[in-house]
Order: sequence, then structure tokens, then C-alpha cells
Amino acid sequence: MLISLSRDLNRLIMDYLIIEGYKSAAEEFAKEAKFPGVSGKPLDVDFDSIESRMNIREALQRGDIDDAIRRVNELNPEILDTNPSLYFHLQQQRVIELIRQGRIIEALQFAQEELAPRGEENPELLSELEKTMALLAFERCDAKPNGIGELLSAGQRLKTAGEMNGAILESLSQGKEAKLESLLKVMVWGQKMLREEVNLEDVPSINAV
Amino acid sequence: MANRPSRSSSIPIPRSNSSTSPSRNIESIISIPFATPARSRLPSDQGPFVRGTTHAESDHRGAGTSTSTNQSNSPLRSTARSFTQPPLIHTRTIPRMINVPFEPRVVRAESSRNLDSTFQPPTSPTRLRKPSIGVRPPSTQRTTQETPQTFTTPSTTFERPDYLEHSAFRHLLQTEAPSSLPPARKSEHPPPNIHAYSSSTSTGSDDDSNASPPPREIPSSTSASASTPVISSDQVLKLPTRWSVQFRHHILNLSEDGRELTYQGTGGSDRDREAAAAARTVQHIPPACGIYYYEVEIRSKGQKAHISVGFAGSDVRMSRLPGWEPNSWGYHGDDGCSFAAEKNGTKYGPTFGVGDIIGCGMDFTTNQAFYTKNGVNLGPVFENVGKGIDLYPSVGLQHVGESVKVNFGHEPFKYDIEYYVQQQRNQAWAEIIERPVDTSFFSAGNNGSAPEEQTKRTLNRLVLSYLAHHGYVKTARVFQKQAETLNTVNTATPSVASSTPTLAVTGTTDHDVEMADTAVSSSSSSTTGLVIQNLEAAEIELRTRIVNSVLEKDIDSAVNETERCYPTALEAEEGLMKVKLRCRKFIELLLIAAEMKKSLNTSISMGGEDHTPSYDGEEEDGMSMQVDDDSAVSMNGFGPGSLVGDRHGSRSSSSAQARCKAALSEAIAYGQSLENEYRSDKRPEVQAIFKKTFSVVAYEDPLAVGGSIAEVVGHEARGLLANELNQAILKSQGKPTHPPLEMMYRYTAVYLLQLGLSGVGAAAFADIQKELLDSES
Repeated sequence: MLISLSRDLNRLIMDYLIIEGYKSAAEEFAKEAKFPGVSGKPLDVDFDSIESRMNIREALQRGDIDDAIRRVNELNPEILDTNPSLYFHLQQQRVIELIRQGRIIEALQFAQEELAPRGEENPELLSELEKTMALLAFERCDAKPNGIGELLSAGQRLKTAGEMNGAILESLSQGKEAKLESLLKVMVWGQKMLREEVNLEDVPSINAV
Repeated sequence: MANRPSRSSSIPIPRSNSSTSPSRNIESIISIPFATPARSRLPSDQGPFVRGTTHAESDHRGAGTSTSTNQSNSPLRSTARSFTQPPLIHTRTIPRMINVPFEPRVVRAESSRNLDSTFQPPTSPTRLRKPSIGVRPPSTQRTTQETPQTFTTPSTTFERPDYLEHSAFRHLLQTEAPSSLPPARKSEHPPPNIHAYSSSTSTGSDDDSNASPPPREIPSSTSASASTPVISSDQVLKLPTRWSVQFRHHILNLSEDGRELTYQGTGGSDRDREAAAAARTVQHIPPACGIYYYEVEIRSKGQKAHISVGFAGSDVRMSRLPGWEPNSWGYHGDDGCSFAAEKNGTKYGPTFGVGDIIGCGMDFTTNQAFYTKNGVNLGPVFENVGKGIDLYPSVGLQHVGESVKVNFGHEPFKYDIEYYVQQQRNQAWAEIIERPVDTSFFSAGNNGSAPEEQTKRTLNRLVLSYLAHHGYVKTARVFQKQAETLNTVNTATPSVASSTPTLAVTGTTDHDVEMADTAVSSSSSSTTGLVIQNLEAAEIELRTRIVNSVLEKDIDSAVNETERCYPTALEAEEGLMKVKLRCRKFIELLLIAAEMKKSLNTSISMGGEDHTPSYDGEEEDGMSMQVDDDSAVSMNGFGPGSLVGDRHGSRSSSSAQARCKAALSEAIAYGQSLENEYRSDKRPEVQAIFKKTFSVVAYEDPLAVGGSIAEVVGHEARGLLANELNQAILKSQGKPTHPPLEMMYRYTAVYLLQLGLSGVGAAAFADIQKELLDSES
């Protein structure tokens, strides 16, 4: 049982390293943790796909949207075609980057040309469009309203990068997100439900302090 | 025995949980949602797991007795009566029930005498108790209404329906109680009733059954069962399998297999014929099912089907159709309306009648019901079904000749419920994992960054601490470096918080699992907080080397290195760890000797090939313990060879014999010195370790024995010991003995179990074992 649990957890770690693109760490881990079939067919993982995913991700985290779009189309042009919401978020990110660089006129123009038509098509995206445009209004203001300033944060880039990563993984018929992340979500959900639905106050927990 | 502690800690429920007074936690979890007013303070308010007498009491009340009446009575009396003559009690003791028009039917000429005599016992509570347990004389009722039938248990036996395989708690859900249950518990199951019936039918005389309530069981056995512990992971949640004999309107004739209900009766007044009559199941539906489903076939012979199919709580009167009363829900065949505690229904689906198969589903993730008609889903209906109460499948009939046959999974369902459950399951799972982690989980100090960012950081820390804990040093280094480059890329962005969230286990745990800054030292210079300092890396390497030497059968190195670097680890608990290690060394010596002997035998029978298997050199997989056993088995599998060519066999075998002997005497000598050394140590755990260790001597080939010996000698035992040593070293350094990731997994498993048992149906569809660990996916 113990052996099998730690083997299972090893797999969870490996899954995380692969999904999140820690290629060399994954390779090292396969050796150290003695994953079966390291030399031959390494698990059922395409280590090379990690690399291209990571390049795209890095581009997004750099704020280089053009590069990211070019790379993802190289990898598989269908990914953007079949994910209108992802494509919108990439364009949104481009507007955000332009605003960040102070290229307001360009940002405005781009938003009008690319974002607005899509926002009209999809009410869900419209509210995000509005939020993005609000950035222009508060551009010189330090105290931005809630939810607006976030767009300029590293978190927003991570979010876009995560969505992109998930879409690529899905196109490769792999899980969308790391199982470890799911586990964290289930745990937090479980804690919340125990408190809210079962009215349990004292939930023994692992908490972020 | 040496490995027991770590073994038990491997159960997916953290040991720490047990030290956080699980009973308190669990009880509070369980009792809150089920502490309905009607049940307030029963002897053992065990929520859904009401047993024995408690069960009977609540059920009795559910059968229509008013609560106040019941409480004023002695519980013993009401219990016994409810089992003895449910419908009669109502008519006799509860004035409210008198206006229910079934009374004349019950008190029939042939049975009235017996009914009376059955009622004598209430003057003597102790006597009355007896029939409630073993033999109950309600045969009077049956004989008045049905032709005598012999109940046989197997008729209700069926496998757990396939659609329930989608529940994470499937292993807890059972259609039949396991036969290993103690007798006291059995009293709550159908079999005793059945037994009572068959025995009474065999006598054929009502006088008999009432004159001889055999006093062979005493009440204490039942009350003992009422105090059974609350929940554990091996709790059995029983599924409905049949309509209840007790909790049905007496006018409904129940078939012997408990599936078919017929509204019977001939003649009588018109008013009598119009009386509603309901039945419910013996067991309530465990919300841990996630979704529960059953089907009813309308077999009415009557002109119109005024039939209600649905659910009811335990306290709903049996003289009303499901849906009319509070805590009951029903879909009515005559008008196709849905009823939820209302007189006038709401338009819901088509009408139904003879020949139709009506499916009735309960989705505990949404607390909504749904119905199917002849395999077509009619959509969700009702809100908050069964919230806070035990929910039973229930049907109601209203006209003579009406008849329904239920399918709780006895046979394939008309509707493709399995596919439906699969869809709902996927949706419930998606709803849990597709939302970002609730920001309240993270510390307040980090509210500057998005949940995605904090999630990533938390996960990175989890991964790194795990790698460090288990000594995957190289991976940890590479990972750390990669994580930093990834995050330093976005230097242009302003808001990378420098303070990192720290994972820590709160609550009283037996070991403070604080990931904090132990394995992962935080550094303000790092954006990720992922830094393993050189000193730390060396420490991890050292610890890993020691632990691995146990796996590699080099116990001496393990002991010496530990003694040199972590002396306190071996000194803890008066040297218990050292005892375990040295006993392992003894076993390793024995194994070497055994292996030599075996290969000697093989080489003799093989005809000379000196086939000494490289015991020390055999492939070490670390993770796959099968290797050892397999090689041993395949070695054995060689039958006496047919090769006779014996060229140099005798010479090599004689030298092998000598080596074999030497190995054995070395082992024995070590064992003796070990025994001498620890003879004075009378601690029971030490004695137990020794007993187990020395029992290995008795076997020529310990690896081939299996069972408990294999547990002591096998490679898995090595893994456990290595892990124990790892924990001992970590503990001696004041570090957590389990990586936070492992704790996280175990806590999550416990949360889900508790949620599932508390009625949060979605927990049944969060199957972390299947979703996250199984490699098949």
C-alpha cells in the first residue's frame, strides 16, 4: 500500500513535470525514480512536445504574443481555429501588452479592429473586452478598480499561457491540466464543502498560511 | 511486525486524523445534517447509520406515529410493537390514524383474536422485546392478507447495479450485508423477519406463533448494536433491495421477493377502495451513490392507474401517496403531475399506466430528482429533495387491483442510466476542477497576485518538497532551476510577489507537517522561493544514500552511516529503529543462505550447471518488488532437468555446498548474537519483532512461503523499512515525516469520504483515485 501510494504519487509528480513543461526535470525524474522503460519508450510521453509547448509558453510570459501565435500555428494551426475563446484571449493579451508599453493609440486601434467584433458575437467575451478597455481609462492611475489592474499582472500572462498550454495538450489528447493541480482543487473544494454544506467548523487541513 | 506502523499509516486516511479526535469531527459531520427535529436525541444519533433499535424507532415513527406519542412511550415498547404489528399499532395507539379507512380490513374475524393476544405483552416490556429480535409474530397480519409464502433470502439478492460503479464510494455500497456481520446487527436486516414468517407459516397456527416467543435472545444484544461506531472507511452503505414488510400500508400485498406490491382487497366500501396506500424500502438511499435510480413496472389490473412513484423520508405516513405529504416527492400516473408536499401537482410529464416502466432517479449532486418513462428521460424535477433527511424509494397505489413491480437493479434497467450517470459524473468532476482554486485558500498576504499564479507557486513547492523528501536530488535541482528561469522570464511584469505562500498542516497532528522552510528553504532573492541550498542538497543526498542501502540489502552501511550522521535517529524509542535494522540484516543473511541452497539444489537437478543466481546482483527495480519473487519462482519452476551430462558438477557443487553451509552458519551466528544482545529488552514491540524475524528460520525458502512470512522477508518489507528509516532520520532532524503532497492526498481522500457520507453527492463523483492516480487513463 505504501509502496503503491508512493509510486502513484511519483506518477502525479511526473505528470506535473510533463504538463507544466519541466522537460529536463521530467527526464531526470524518470531516471531517479526508476520509471519503467526509461531507455526504450519513455512512458507514453512525447518529451519533444514539451519543448515546443514551453517555447510558446515562454513567448506568452515574455509578452510576445506574435511569437506565440506563430509558434502555435507551426505546431498545429487547428488549435487557434477551434478555440475562439483562446484566440480572443491572445488578442486581449496583445492589447494589454500594448497598453503596458504605453502604445495607447495602437492598442485602441487593435481593440477596435480585432476584439470588438468578437465581443459582439459572444456576450461572455464582451465583459472581458469591457474590462480590457477600462485599462485605457485608468492608464495613468495607480489605484485601478478591482479586476482591472489584475490584467496587467504576471498572473494574467500565466492565465493566458495556461489556457494555451491546455489547448495544445488537448489537441494532443492529453489531460488539460496537471493532475496535481486537480488534486489541489479537489482538496480546496472539499474543505469548502465541509465548511459550507456540512457546517463543519474545524476542518483539519493543510492550509496556505 | 516491524513494519506495521508505517503500514497502517499508509491507509489513505492520515493517522494524524485519528489523533485529531476523529470521533468528534466525524460525529459532528454526520450528525449535523441528519439531526432532523423528529430524531433529535435518540440513544445513538448516528445520522444515516442508525442501527438496531434506533432504526426501528425512527422507522416506526416514520410509519405514521406522531412523535409525541412515541416519545411518551417507552422506546422498548414502541420498538417491539412496530416490528410486531405496525398497522395495528397505528390504529390502536394513534387516534389520528383511526380515520384512515383501512382499519376494518385489518381486524378481521380470523385474526382479531390473535391480534389481541399479541397485544398482551405490552404489560411486560421485557417479554415484548423478545419477539422484536428473533422471532416476530406478525404472521397474523400476513395470514389475513396473503396466502402463506416462504420467504427466501436469495430472491432479493443481486449485484450492485453497474451505474453505481461511477461512484467513488462504490466499494462501500452493497446490496446485501456481508455475512460476517455479528448476529446482533443482523436483527435489523430482512432475514430475521423472513425467518419469522417462514416459521409461522410452517406452524400454520397463529396461536403457536404468539404463544411461543422463544426467549432465546435478550434485549441487550440489540441495544449493543445501537452503539456501533459511527463511520470508518470500511463502513457498509446498504442499498435498497426490497419493499419493507413493516413500512408499507397493510392493504398492499407484498410478493415474497419483496419487489411486487399489489393493492388488494375485495368488496368493502367505495371509500375503502379509494384509500391511498404507500410503501417504502427497508434501506434508505445512501447519498454516496451520487445518483440513485430505480424503475417500477406498472402492472395494474385496475381500470386506471392512480399510482405515485417517488421518494419519501422515514417519517411519512403510509396512508398517503408520495408527494402529498411533507418530505415526500412523487410523479403521479393519472395526471402526469409532479408532487412535492402538495395537494395539487405541477405539470411534469405524460400520464402513465399499465405496461409502462417508470424510472425514478435521485441526483445527490443537485438534490434534484428525475424520471424516465419507458427509457426516455423526462428531465429534472423538484428542488432540495431529501436535504437533511434519509430518503427512501417509495410508491403509492390507490385502487384495488393496481400492482407495481420494482427493479432496484435486480435486472437491467429500461433506461440507459449508466450513460446518464457517466455524463453527470464528468460534469460534476469538471465543475470541481475547472474553476480556479478559491483564493481564500491562499494567505491574505498574497492577494496581489492572481489565483493562477499562487496555484502554480503552491504546486511548485509541493513538487519540490516531495522530491527533496524522497531524495530525488538531481530532479529537484533541475526542477528548481527550470522553475526559476520560467518565472524570471517575465521580469517586465511588476507584481511578482516576493513572499511565498507556505504550506503547513494546521490542526493537531501527531507530527507537525510543516513544509515551511525545511526541505524548501525560501530565499528572498528568488521569485519562486524554490531554492535548495547546497548544504541541504548534501543532506538529502546523504539521507537518500542511507535509505537506498537498505533497499540494496546493505544493512550494515545503513546502520553505520546513520549512526555516524544521525545518531539520534537510531536512539529514538530506545533504539527501536536499530533493532528493526539489525533484524533485517539477519533476514538478509538468511535469504542469502536460502538462495544458495536453492541454487545448489537446482544445479544438482539440472545436472551440473553451476547456476548460482547473482543474489546481490539481481536487477534492483526499487519500485517493482515483483522482481525478486518472480526470479525465485522461475528458478523453482525448472523441474528436474533431463540433462544428464555431468562433467564438473560434483566438484563445483561440493564447493557450493561449503559456501552454502558457511552462509547459513554466518546467519545463525548473527541471529544468536542478536538474541543475546536484546534478551533483556522485554518491550512487547521488540519481542514481537524478534518473534516474527526468527520465525523465518523455519523455512528453507522463505521467499516462496508467501503470506505473513513474505510480508517479513519480501522486497516490499525492505521498502517499508527504508521508508521508516527515512522518516526516523527526518524526525530526528525535526522535519516532517511525510511530504506535504502525501498529506494533501490523504486529507483530500478523507474530506471526500466525509462529504460522501454526509450527503454531499458530488463527492461521489470526485474519484481522485481513479482520476488522478490510475495510470490507465
